[in-house]
Amino acid sequence: MKFVAIVGSNANQSVNRQLLQFMQRHFDDDQLDLVEVKPFPMFNENHPVTDPEPAVQLAEQIESADGVIIACPEYNHSVPSGLKSVIEWESYRLHPFKNKPVMIVGASKFAQGSSRAQLHLRQILDSPGVFAQVFAGNEFLLGQAKDAFTVEGDLKDQGTIDFLTLCYNGFKDFVAMHQAAQEAQA
Amino acid sequence: MKLVAIVGTNADFSYNRLLLQYMQKHFQAMADIKILEIDQLPAFSIDEPLDMKVWSFKKAIQQADGVIFSTPEYDHSIPAALKSAIEWVSYKQNALYHKPAMIVGTSYGPQASARAQEHLRQILASPDCDAYTLSGNEVLIGNAAKVFVDGNVTDAKVRAELESYFNNFVDFIDTTAPKEDDSMPKQPYLDDAYIKFPTGSLSFREVQQIFATIPFEIDLIDHTDHFTWYSNKPNREHVRYPNEIGEGVDECHPPKVLPIVMKIINSFKDGSRDSVSRPLMMHGHRVLIQYYALRDVDGSYLGTIEFTGSVEHILNFYDQGAWGESDGTTGASQADATSGATDASGDAAADATSGASAHDEAASDAPAAENADTTDAPDATSGASEH
Repeated sequence: MKFVAIVGSNANQSVNRQLLQFMQRHFDDDQLDLVEVKPFPMFNENHPVTDPEPAVQLAEQIESADGVIIACPEYNHSVPSGLKSVIEWESYRLHPFKNKPVMIVGASKFAQGSSRAQLHLRQILDSPGVFAQVFAGNEFLLGQAKDAFTVEGDLKDQGTIDFLTLCYNGFKDFVAMHQAAQEAQA
Repeated sequence: MKLVAIVGTNADFSYNRLLLQYMQKHFQAMADIKILEIDQLPAFSIDEPLDMKVWSFKKAIQQADGVIFSTPEYDHSIPAALKSAIEWVSYKQNALYHKPAMIVGTSYGPQASARAQEHLRQILASPDCDAYTLSGNEVLIGNAAKVFVDGNVTDAKVRAELESYFNNFVDFIDTTAPKEDDSMPKQPYLDDAYIKFPTGSLSFREVQQIFATIPFEIDLIDHTDHFTWYSNKPNREHVRYPNEIGEGVDECHPPKVLPIVMKIINSFKDGSRDSVSRPLMMHGHRVLIQYYALRDVDGSYLGTIEFTGSVEHILNFYDQGAWGESDGTTGASQADATSGATDASGDAAADATSGASAHDEAASDAPAAENADTTDAPDATSGASEH
């Protein structure tokens, strides 16, 4: 399968980017294309008059992918503004998330693993302007993420890798079910 | 009461902006409301240095008695532009800490921005912000296009509700905000303790009052480049606030002067300089700012102290010839005439508490230092301590 994997942080150093890079290598039967939020301008409904290039490009990527994986950090108990801005661009004139399966993962420095931001993100993706099909349950919350990776960028703990694999395979089943249902409807 | 009101969108037209403009006008007898726009702020990034606009935005919030947020709803949450502004404001030194906050919102449809407001409440309650948000009092103004006519709220029920909620916010600020008297610490915590110096001891109370009395104000940037203390001199040239304590040097200075400040601090750290003086005009009078490297007895860097004070009285003495020519005799008589040094020399005994020990030293030190005769020395010292 082919997934777009959005790095929800615009920081130079990000454990969420590391997590997606690991998934990209580890689940190499599938294609995971990483997308950065940094090149996106801050969403503004008046400026620019047309959608910015990164937004158009991401919309095309999402349209042609089987699903989207979002790695979400937590800033002030919510979604970072950089990621929220990208979702706003993709729910204003463009609507690539419509009916698109989405999986949420997240990592943080302390114990919570971005739990509260992930809940906000679910609600945001559920809104009518976005209309994504968010994969329920399977909360992958990587706490203490600074110590979770080896120097090569692999997850150290086998239990964590097993759970991530379980969530990821579950998501692939969800995507397959969703696609079958779409075909049956058509 | 000084409030700031943040327009929660960067859009050219916004009913949320109209709502705040209406509140500004309608409640002008109760509060001075300054409207802050977020459209010029850069996108939040931990890798970018503090921008001048962000700095001013943050300062405005820090110095206000309370903050009103007017938020639209984008995708069931607050707009990214508003989230970004909150991230800047709470990053490093958190300007929202214990700041009374009120959330309002309006929308074209009937829902107002109920879900975004709920998210905003949670965001403001996070430890990163730790604002005191007024609970209840939900200002949810739906059907904005009908409610706002020529910038006024036409619906009497909506207006009455807004008035009642704003009253509650003002009361809330009165009960939660620190009392006026607490804004400046009056006394140090251990006011009966003594610090023993090789040259005598001072009580904490005396230390405190010395800093409040000397004609220069002092600020300290510690060795980790954080603003950790300022003297509580009345009528300071630089007005400082207790909630600025703990700010990084990059936060307490405007970005445009930061490079100059860092150049001074770095030259103190590497030992290439020990002091820098800067004469300038402030508040219509002549002021001298002096930066000194603070070092321990072994010479290692402890921080930078900034002395700031009006030099008008010194310059007036100078203009009146208080120090005279290099000829000591004329100097002495002129000093007497202007500073009332006849009193001072006669009063040496009356001034004894501060004068006694200093006097002896001055008598022996002054001639060498000042290149003046002995009659000059007592005048110079008592004159200095008097002013």
